[in-house]
Amino acid sequence: MKKNIKLYIAIIIPLLVWILPTELIPIKDLTVVEHRVIALFLFAALFWILEPIPIYATSITVMVLLLITTSDRSFIIFQLAAGDPDFGTLIRYQDIMGTFASPIIMLFLGGFFLAMAATKYRLDLNLANVLLRPFGSNPKYVLVGIMVITALFSMFMSNTATTAMMLALLVPVLKLFKPGDRGKVAFGLAVPFAANIGGIGTIIGTPPNAIAVRYLTGDYAMGFGQWMVMALPFVIIMMVFLWFLLLRFYPIETETINLQIGGKFLKNWKAIIVYCTFAVTIILWLLDFLHGMNAYIVALIPVAVFSATTIINKDDLRNISWDVLWLVAGGLALGLALEQTGLAESIVASIPFSKFAPLLIVAFASILTIIMSNFISNTATANLLLPIMVALGVSVPELYDVGGLRYIVLTVTFACSLGMAMPISTPPNALAYGSGFFRTQDMLKMGIIVGAVGLAFAYIYLYVLADVVDLL
Amino acid sequence: MAKPNIICVDDQRDILATLKKELQFFREYVKIFYCESADEAENILDEIDAKGEHLAVIICDHVMPGKSGVEFLGEVNNDIRFQKTKKLLLTGLATHEDTIEAINKAKIDRYVGKPWETHDFINKVRTLLTEYILEEGIDYNEFLTVLDQDTLYKRLRNTT
Repeated sequence: MKKNIKLYIAIIIPLLVWILPTELIPIKDLTVVEHRVIALFLFAALFWILEPIPIYATSITVMVLLLITTSDRSFIIFQLAAGDPDFGTLIRYQDIMGTFASPIIMLFLGGFFLAMAATKYRLDLNLANVLLRPFGSNPKYVLVGIMVITALFSMFMSNTATTAMMLALLVPVLKLFKPGDRGKVAFGLAVPFAANIGGIGTIIGTPPNAIAVRYLTGDYAMGFGQWMVMALPFVIIMMVFLWFLLLRFYPIETETINLQIGGKFLKNWKAIIVYCTFAVTIILWLLDFLHGMNAYIVALIPVAVFSATTIINKDDLRNISWDVLWLVAGGLALGLALEQTGLAESIVASIPFSKFAPLLIVAFASILTIIMSNFISNTATANLLLPIMVALGVSVPELYDVGGLRYIVLTVTFACSLGMAMPISTPPNALAYGSGFFRTQDMLKMGIIVGAVGLAFAYIYLYVLADVVDLL
Repeated sequence: MAKPNIICVDDQRDILATLKKELQFFREYVKIFYCESADEAENILDEIDAKGEHLAVIICDHVMPGKSGVEFLGEVNNDIRFQKTKKLLLTGLATHEDTIEAINKAKIDRYVGKPWETHDFINKVRTLLTEYILEEGIDYNEFLTVLDQDTLYKRLRNTT
């Protein structure tokens, strides 16, 4: 589809909904402000799905539109009817703008600083070197090593950077494989899949996790360590499954593999500060229940240390993926609008969810999520669906019997990371596809199996945690 | 978004024809111009700049009537409009001094001797295109199939 056509569709449909008389929208007691939020939600959804402009640009546009039309300092004509009983309440403009500095943005900033310092001082390559050694040169076990390292790194670095780093190591080795050796496919798919799945492991692993944590508040709040204890077994089991699956479909014929990384750990004082800060930050994150500082505050420690020591200088600062932070912030602003106007709950209330079995609701929600995340950005999927899921979790009492808010939110969050059937599904998929070691069909076949099995497993695993052993 | 541009400059038509055949590989993703002299190329530079499009790579012969390749690339190097444009010098007849000039004054990015090997030449252009796209912040996803993977991976390792 032409970009222009996409742009027109994404503008016209929300506009039509905007001008529709409020009474015609089938939601009970819909206020004027809620009506505007519906139109803007639709605007965000269409722009993120059709992508006529970059996804971070959609985010900032949504935020600006919310400020202009739904905030307490909105354009004067949007405030005219304020005070009418069916007008609803405007959102504080500080709250919308505040999403830029939301704790989860700070959390990601901390993660970015750690990742930047690690790559700058080659901690990533040197660690990969050390960690890969015990796996020897038997390709089957080297594959395990590659998957373990990719998954581990993607918990703390971006999935894209991890994939790029691992592919840079692997490509020269894979080029030496015999022409017909299907083992190349196994390696080519292992890296992006392990990165996608590994991202589930921590709250800084991938933006959807952090967004989920933002919505899990009060009694449902989850710390860094608590998340990891919950998610790590899932990641490990999925890795084992992925390993068997890839070897079953793409047996490796080459008999030995020699991955040469080389390089020594840097020993200058800045490098040592990087190692120590990295270790201390992770330890503090894991022990948050002991020292009282939450993950957000701990995340700012590396930011301060690396800035003060100029390990991350002014120039590095410009290389931060601000687009990722904007994407998340815009999603939070949208979520805030849905929540504060009460729209999310009104929508949920207007659909008779209570008629359905609660487990069916979760299953349906997570299947919708995985389908969406296969086609659009995982973060955009989380931005759109998580606020609705939270409203569902809060207002459908039947869901309380099956683990409540956490069960539905976590299942959907996992599903955001499990969509990986196509090159366009995630940036790691696209990068690996570009290396040319497998065909689209290979990725499609394996991606569907991994996605389906992963989702089914998440569904059961989280249910057991939430309901049976009551760990969540 | 408009496709990035590549300009080829060589006074010999048969060389331009060869380039045309070899650069087919990029045709879907970039717009390629073929010029017979530096003057002609300069007009195209202005045209690209006026349209606000990207000039990714200049592939230029050295020995040409009128302005030489090294002279021309030196001017491009000093032109604030094309600071990030990658320069490839294509020549069989450059003297020692020309080569020194090419590196010091024109700051060329690649040097290819005539006759060249097709595969190697295409890879050099791919690498330059990849570097340009990443340095200019163009969305690389649309170009994945023509980019040099190694360059791409090494640069993306630094993304946060």
